Amino acid sequence: MFGFLKGLGVTISQLPKKKVTLMYPDEKPEWPERFRGVHRFIPELCTVCNQCARICPTSCISLSGARDENRKLRIETYDINSDICILCSLCTEVCPTEAILMSDTFENASYVRDDLYLDMHWLYNNELEYERRHPDRAIPETDVQKKAGD
Amino acid sequence: MELNHTNSIGRQNELPVLEYEGLTPAENMELRQGGVVLNSLEVIKGWARSNSMWPLTFGLACCAIEMMATGAARYDLDRFGIIFRASPRQSDVMIVAGTVTKKMAPLLRRLYDQMAEPKWVIAMGVCATAGGPYVKSYSVLRGVDQVVPVDVYIPGCPPSPPALLYGLNMLQEKIRMEARGKKVTQA
Repeated sequence: MFGFLKGLGVTISQLPKKKVTLMYPDEKPEWPERFRGVHRFIPELCTVCNQCARICPTSCISLSGARDENRKLRIETYDINSDICILCSLCTEVCPTEAILMSDTFENASYVRDDLYLDMHWLYNNELEYERRHPDRAIPETDVQKKAGD
Repeated sequence: MELNHTNSIGRQNELPVLEYEGLTPAENMELRQGGVVLNSLEVIKGWARSNSMWPLTFGLACCAIEMMATGAARYDLDRFGIIFRASPRQSDVMIVAGTVTKKMAPLLRRLYDQMAEPKWVIAMGVCATAGGPYVKSYSVLRGVDQVVPVDVYIPGCPPSPPALLYGLNMLQEKIRMEARGKKVTQA
């Protein structure tokens, strides 16, 4: 009888407490700033140095660029095969201009594997989406122009 | 209303051929000739199946920890009627959570074969999708779709509990769409 009351006491003491369940599809989780979701990419900042593709432990990044009229390297294609990307964030660490960054996009499940091959447009749209969600974390426009200028 | 019976053969060729499971070919033919569509029953079946997906407890690596976290109080899989079962005979969904080695692959196939129809497979994490960090390894399967048909792929290493929930909701959507006779390729 005492054990029964003791157990019930634990249950009742939990009742007035705050609910812990996050009602996910209705209510989105708040990720911390350094959460490693799928990448976001800013094409203007990229200098085609190829360091991200070389450090990637699974070689899931492939990129190509060409010189424009000012003999400056411009990115042309940038693909991440998120089939095998392990979100280790090494590419964002080596990037000298911070053109490739991690976002907090996590809803990227898919019915077919081909959708997991992310191209430059998808990654840039992800950057725009990220800036829309977090206006305080957006890169200032002047900074982008300055970094693209040098 | 007068029905034009002479035209019924031509109309049969135009209409999409629906085959209902649990009925004999003769009964299917009868339904088709009578113009009876059992789609509402199919939709109810899809609704029932999508709201009681019982996954097989099948954790192979660190993704299993996230799968357990999804089942716990914070994200609570029971809200969707998803209850983990310990036997493949009682399960509908197999969540392949983790690295599948070449030694494990035949066992995975056997577990899949032991599950009762209808059954679905979710490849959780990049290891189950394509090999992940072990793509260059000699002993790891490059994606679980080499041994079983996969319905939903969830990238991530490991995917966070909301990402798994998103994938499960996509599978529920797929079951409901297929019950309505639509083919699912895109979200």
